[in-house]
Amino acid sequence: MTSTTPPTSAPLVALRGLSKRFSLRGGLFARNTRELRAVDGVDLDIHRGETVGLVGESGCGKSTLARMVIRLLRPSSGQILFDGNDIADLGERQLAPYRRRMQMIFQDPYASLNPRMSVGDIIAEPLEIAAWGDSTTRQARVTQLLDRVGLSRDHAMRFPHEFSGGQRQRVGIARAIALEPELIICDEPISALDVSIQAQVVNMLEDLQQEQGLTYLFISHDLSMVRHIADRIGVMYLGRIVELAPSRKLYRSPAHPYTRLLLDSIPVTDPDRAHTDAAITGEIPSPLHIPSGCAFRTRCPRATALCAEREPALQDLGDGHLASCHHPLSPEAAR
Amino acid sequence: MTALLDVDGLTTSFFTRRGEVKSVRGVSFRVAAGETLGIVGESGSGKSVTCMSILRLLKTGGKVVSGRALFEGRDLLALDEDEMSDLRGNAIGMIFQDPMTSLNPTLTVGEQVIETIIRHRPVSRAAARQRAIELFDMVRIPSPEARLRAYPHEFSGGMRQRVMIAIALACEPKLLIADEPTTALDVTIQRQILVLLKELQAKLGMAIILITHDLGIIVEFTDRMLVMYGGQVMEEGLVTAVFRQPAHPYTRGLIAAIPNIADDNGQRLRPIPGSPPDMHDPPPGCPFAPRCPEAMLQCRVPAPMIQAAIGQSSRCWRLHPDAPRPVEQDGRP
Repeated sequence: MTSTTPPTSAPLVALRGLSKRFSLRGGLFARNTRELRAVDGVDLDIHRGETVGLVGESGCGKSTLARMVIRLLRPSSGQILFDGNDIADLGERQLAPYRRRMQMIFQDPYASLNPRMSVGDIIAEPLEIAAWGDSTTRQARVTQLLDRVGLSRDHAMRFPHEFSGGQRQRVGIARAIALEPELIICDEPISALDVSIQAQVVNMLEDLQQEQGLTYLFISHDLSMVRHIADRIGVMYLGRIVELAPSRKLYRSPAHPYTRLLLDSIPVTDPDRAHTDAAITGEIPSPLHIPSGCAFRTRCPRATALCAEREPALQDLGDGHLASCHHPLSPEAAR
Repeated sequence: MTALLDVDGLTTSFFTRRGEVKSVRGVSFRVAAGETLGIVGESGSGKSVTCMSILRLLKTGGKVVSGRALFEGRDLLALDEDEMSDLRGNAIGMIFQDPMTSLNPTLTVGEQVIETIIRHRPVSRAAARQRAIELFDMVRIPSPEARLRAYPHEFSGGMRQRVMIAIALACEPKLLIADEPTTALDVTIQRQILVLLKELQAKLGMAIILITHDLGIIVEFTDRMLVMYGGQVMEEGLVTAVFRQPAHPYTRGLIAAIPNIADDNGQRLRPIPGSPPDMHDPPPGCPFAPRCPEAMLQCRVPAPMIQAAIGQSSRCWRLHPDAPRPVEQDGRP
């Protein structure tokens, strides 16, 4: 949580040219099949014990990317190196040993918990599937997990509908950590929760990371919360990472104009810093009609003819700061 | 000052199989012509039910138990249904979180705007259509004439919300009630919509009640605010005053719980412990007392609104002149 420079050891997850294309059939006779580029050639390393945040507008591909990392989706091309092994193309049986090492926490804990199962059974389920211990040790483990996420052992007998949103997310977390995974994908884990409860859940995720050396890929549209929890942040736009930097650097001196505009969109809670003017123009283009060159140029105040002609490559600006822009903001101009 | 809207002692309950849910318990506030009042609160705080009570659009089982809501001197809660439908969409406009559920999916959006205009104004169809084009232009929907012929599903979320704003403003309302209008949108589109609302307010002069759970939206887009919790107003005041010196421990807790984007130190967040009250059986007295670090015995008795500063009051016994000073907590008063 604290270090901003990634450790030098091999990353837990390394994505190489990861892409996902969906083909959409249009027309009555499905002759003109169109292709939707949801994720397009993403390279990203996630190191052990770090939290990488992914931000971007809806449709930018952040959730698709996360679902590929955990192999809920099969990539169209590219590699997913998990602890050095490419899992991008593995079948379900070959994936089994990796499944227990990676878990996911979803946005809506209500939709992801089986309403007919008691909370105790929900938490025990991954243990049973993995044939972890016997029924007695599993019971003990469930009690231990409930305790760890701040619920009492009496809660094991109850059903999801009897819980508040915050408590349900605690159940989701208990289930996710049951098999002591190495990687947890958090997909908008606090978006459905009230402000006063969000902080409880985020603090718990941070504590668990400290205790168990967890690695997080944290997806959220709440840029303030991502800035709080993540060591490094990737900004996605139309399927690509357009900027990647240590969180502090990204917020202090973003290089990509999209990042700057995204940050300026956040309503600030300080009456002295409030600004009601700056608004990013236009909407994110359809992923079926991605603009030529730089995909952001249609909304970018700095766009030139070059941006329509040539696609900017992700360039290293030093100190782990990468951005793909022909006209990046200088550190002074960025603020 | 005569207020445009004067709500007094509004009390609304939902009668369910599990019993009575006391959603709104004695809420009073005023809205002056042309101002923006923000109502902030968490789910179940009663902020939406307050507005739905005023609009007389409560869901099944919901009933206003007592109170008044004077709009230009007429009690909205005492009007018959016909009189109320004349006001809704006319002198009082409204927009909600999810425009997809408020728009009719089987009609073109143009038809829906024209319908609203014809319903409330004695104009021809052609004139109403012309007005619809003007409205689409006003909310910056590109190529308005062509877009009138489109169906709701052909629009993005942000564009649908623009359509809703066009419908809400069709009859130049004096009051616009906006219930979480940008919660389903991306931050970029959220800002576009809120900036647009501010501009239209400056042009048309309507008052706005903006309901949100986002404190940042309150700060940037409203003048005065109510903080609701457990069906009651916990604090009321000018936005700048409340944020510089929040008077209620709940308001302080809420502000402290959100991460500060300017904060570099990765400081640990400070959540409010516990969870919101069960409105089937809310605690006696202050609903926040069970989670309040400053609670005392007196908090079991309902507190009155007590003035904290000029234009700021709070429902907290700690503000009573004879109340003991709270214990200092990690350096914060």
